[in-house]
Amino acid sequence: MPTSAREPLLQIKDLSAGYGKIGVLRNIDMVVYPGEIVAMLGPNGAGKTTLLRAISGLLPWTGSISFAGTSLARISPRDAANQGLVHVVEGHRVFTQLSVEDNVLLAGYDLPAAQRRQQVEEALDFFPEIKAKRNDKAVTLSGGQQQMLAVAQGLVRKPRLLMLDEPSAGLSPVLVDRVLAAAGQLRAAMTAVLLVEQLIEKSLAIADRVYALARGTVVLEAQASEPGLPQRLEHVYFGRDGQAGHGPSPAAGAAHAT
Amino acid sequence: MTAESAPTVGGAATSSTWLPGWFEAWFPVILLAVVGGSLPLWGDSFFGIIATRVCVYWVLVSGLNLVVGFAGQLAIGWVSLLTIGAYVASALAAGRVTPEIPAYVALVIAAMFGAVFGFIAGLPALRLRTFYFAMTTLGLSTIVTQIALAWRSVTGGGVGIPGPSMPAPFDTPWGFYYFTLILALICTWMTCNIAASRFGRSLVAVRDAEVAAEAVGIYKPGLLMTVFLFSGALAGLAGGLFATLQSYITPDAFTFDLSVLFFIAILIGGRGSILGPLLGTAVLTVLPEFAAPLVQWSTFLYAFLLLVIVLLVPGGIADLLDFRNRKPLDQHREIRPRPELLTKVLEDRKRESVLELKGIVLAFGGVRAVDGVDLQLTTGEVHGLIGPNGSGKTTMLNVISGYYAPQQGSVKQDGTDFTREGSYTRARHKIARTFQTPRIIGESSVIDNVMIGGTLDGHASFVEAMLLLPRQRRDEKHLREKAMAALTLVGLERIAGVRADRLQHSELRFVEIARALMVEPSFLLLDEPAAGLSVDEIERLGELIKAISRRGTGVLLVEHHADLIFDICDRVTVLNLGKVLASGSPDYIRSHREVINAYLGA
Amino acid sequence: MLVESIISNGLAVGAVYALIGIAYNVMFSASRVFSFTAGSVGMLGGVFGAILISRMGMPVVVGFLLTLLLGAILGIITEIVAVRPVLKSLDQHLYVLSTLAIALMIQQLTAIYFSTDAVPFPRVIPIEPGIFDQKFWLPILACILTVLGLEYLSRHTLIGRAFLAIAEDNYAARALGLPEAGLRMASYALAGMISVLAGFAAGQLLFASLANGPLLNFYGFVPVALGGMGSNRGAVIGGLALGLFQQTANYFFGGIFSSVAVFIVFIVVLLVRPEGLAGAATARRV
Repeated sequence: MPTSAREPLLQIKDLSAGYGKIGVLRNIDMVVYPGEIVAMLGPNGAGKTTLLRAISGLLPWTGSISFAGTSLARISPRDAANQGLVHVVEGHRVFTQLSVEDNVLLAGYDLPAAQRRQQVEEALDFFPEIKAKRNDKAVTLSGGQQQMLAVAQGLVRKPRLLMLDEPSAGLSPVLVDRVLAAAGQLRAAMTAVLLVEQLIEKSLAIADRVYALARGTVVLEAQASEPGLPQRLEHVYFGRDGQAGHGPSPAAGAAHAT
Repeated sequence: MTAESAPTVGGAATSSTWLPGWFEAWFPVILLAVVGGSLPLWGDSFFGIIATRVCVYWVLVSGLNLVVGFAGQLAIGWVSLLTIGAYVASALAAGRVTPEIPAYVALVIAAMFGAVFGFIAGLPALRLRTFYFAMTTLGLSTIVTQIALAWRSVTGGGVGIPGPSMPAPFDTPWGFYYFTLILALICTWMTCNIAASRFGRSLVAVRDAEVAAEAVGIYKPGLLMTVFLFSGALAGLAGGLFATLQSYITPDAFTFDLSVLFFIAILIGGRGSILGPLLGTAVLTVLPEFAAPLVQWSTFLYAFLLLVIVLLVPGGIADLLDFRNRKPLDQHREIRPRPELLTKVLEDRKRESVLELKGIVLAFGGVRAVDGVDLQLTTGEVHGLIGPNGSGKTTMLNVISGYYAPQQGSVKQDGTDFTREGSYTRARHKIARTFQTPRIIGESSVIDNVMIGGTLDGHASFVEAMLLLPRQRRDEKHLREKAMAALTLVGLERIAGVRADRLQHSELRFVEIARALMVEPSFLLLDEPAAGLSVDEIERLGELIKAISRRGTGVLLVEHHADLIFDICDRVTVLNLGKVLASGSPDYIRSHREVINAYLGA
Repeated sequence: MLVESIISNGLAVGAVYALIGIAYNVMFSASRVFSFTAGSVGMLGGVFGAILISRMGMPVVVGFLLTLLLGAILGIITEIVAVRPVLKSLDQHLYVLSTLAIALMIQQLTAIYFSTDAVPFPRVIPIEPGIFDQKFWLPILACILTVLGLEYLSRHTLIGRAFLAIAEDNYAARALGLPEAGLRMASYALAGMISVLAGFAAGQLLFASLANGPLLNFYGFVPVALGGMGSNRGAVIGGLALGLFQQTANYFFGGIFSSVAVFIVFIVVLLVRPEGLAGAATARRV
């Protein structure tokens, strides 16, 4: 993977964000290059979901975020999607009362009709088992299938950067592999992926680079292939690492706040 | 300062004003007495009639204020009770049902009818959400008017009946004015007293932080029905007075516009205040009288004012007059708890107590959030409860504190089983808790928030509070002292009189702890208290928790923050996917392979 | 004759209530709050229609279209002024007050500028009155058309499906990039149009009267309470049932006590099943 002389696709500098009075993230610096998979790991309450929400515009933030050279200040998730930055939220929240096909169609709401139809087909092609159920209501899908549907929604806009929030949550290992394999396919097609995860092993297997977040700050940045990473991450999770960041401990309850 | 003998409304325990405490608390009474009492000196009989109307309306609104402004129940159709009171008083005084009854007695009976119907009108509030309840009060007001039209033998139907006439000396316009003024003053005084008592604070707690109110033992149904009774009585009384004022009543005197006036006066005045709605009632009643074109536009104006208030100044006139909370606060406030002062708040626990949960199973939909968990808490011990997201930690805490009843299993303390008892009973069993997101009443002061924790300490009844009898005064004094001690313990005594929504997040967490300590708990349940705290604050929190446990209270600490858990816990239980993964000393847990794997998701 | 009269009156009035209930539901689905304006705007549909057609002599179709436009505008105003600003606030009850304020202002402006007396509504279709007069089947037709229209919207148009998405999960819709603010405004415009349609179609039945405002507010809400929040099917069934019940009670007990009867049924249903006969239970609080 070339590391030098690349323009960052997503650049975050000195980002702080939270929920009302509760500060969660402090002084985050992070970068994602085109066509790479970046895994963001960390214990519960570290602020990983908060970070994704800030990037896509679901939350207010201070600092600087730029995407392909343009600042993301004060824009909505809709504008971000139009620019090629798509956020698949945690908890495979699909619209249960609508069909699979409708769910994916809605993801392309802003596209012209013909283009939308075509990109919907291409997105469904990623997950043949979902495509087979295209006319079924989303409520009939299993958890894993709903997760795949949520990722398919993210793909409709053909994003340059796809952000996935804990796609493995509540899924069996087999399905987790399926979803992560899709991330690999995206990388092959030059789509960058920012993957928030709890599963260390599987994430390290697929990612190019890794960040670890704890208590609202970045505590570790490394290439995924570096030796000894799992042990270093263990220390991060249990807070015994002396180098673990000093800063406000984020409100884990805020992770449930919508 | 005479702070001990008088209520202090919206309390500055640290009274920084140059006025005595009772003046501030009873200011609405004093204002009304001075302005109203002197009216004949500077106003003519036209003013007198208007002022009488203001007093009559205020008798109703002062009671409705407790329902709408304090309890937050949107009773929009309260003119129904005015109607009932008016017709009862008139029918009795005119002898249409019984032999003629003297006016004073008729008024008292009107008040009683008002109380009964206020109670009935309030019952739906216990079960229905805001909009639905508002609709039921609207429906009620339509029905009462229609019954008034139909029941001709009693109400005279569309033709109407004369209102009761007062005996001397109240049979002249000025005489009647003073009669209504005296009643208005008494109502103001009584509602001021209630506002400054644990009942007033409880109402506001139920309105703004219902979950926390339950946790400290406030029983919402009882409280609400008491207030509806009281408010209904005042409305019925006001109805009788209204009938006398009008001297002849017909159903179309009781328009929806009147209901709107009452309701909006409270909101324009500001919730949780007595002075605000008093001024609001006066302004809204007087305005249309002085500008003839305004009469037609009056309701439009009221509605427009309401919209403006909702959008721009939700706190109403009271907010505009709240000068104390305009003073800037010191930006670099530090929280320094003083664990050594714990002795003033908690008594030394002599007897050991055990809280035992066995076989707890709780499922939501098809998912078992808690799947057969055993947990034992002992007084004097800090017990940590940890686990990945979705492990069931918070659900367990909610079961212990009574917000969920488990489908299987039991919660017992020293053999007493209270598995199925509601959350409001826990305070009685000396179990207190804090919440993941602080449940604080933003519009109340810090000390009022803490005093809510001591609700169950109060012995005075509603009537004693209303009349400020000695037992109520003793209650308040004791409660206030205890609350100040708790605040001093957590290091927040200097901001006791500040509105709670001006505080930083970390300060709110400590306010919750002070409130919980007011219960003098045998068991204190803390729900992620370290979230959002700085490193220093977490350290001080840890010391405080340790001191609390050494004093004899058992602490359950649900946390994500690993350092805090391993530093101060005596025992740690790890949950994963609703089951107990491991339980033991912190060192044992820390090196337990399966625990580590669960967190890392391997 | 009697039974027919009760049925035709009952279904007609019930259809009007059902339409107002649907208007409440449309606003609720889009914003998770109830607005007091459903009935007041409905009242205005009748009054405005009467004025445009009778007093100003416009052709029926033109008057109708202008009235629909008015409904849409009022709906948009409600969303912008009374709903959007308070959705952001933490204080949940404010929407009750802001929408109440708007509803009252609409009522009062109508009272000031137009007559407070009931005005007969012009005949919409110029044929002679028969046994099943148009004043009965116009509201029913309006109700059927509305229900069919909403079905079509949600099944065959993307915007209709977007409405459903916003109603189900506002957060996910926003994250997906749906223009939820614009969709909400469109929903409110639609609700406004449904309200005035109800008032217009009911013009000959109820007359164009200011008093219809509070009447429709309450009676239009009963189908929502009975049928469950957000359920249009429930609103239709609830509305028709309410209409029939009211007319029957009217006959047996007289007008006054029929409203008492309705109120009692309303209260009893709510106390026994607060979520309505078809609704879902509420979410966890802690």
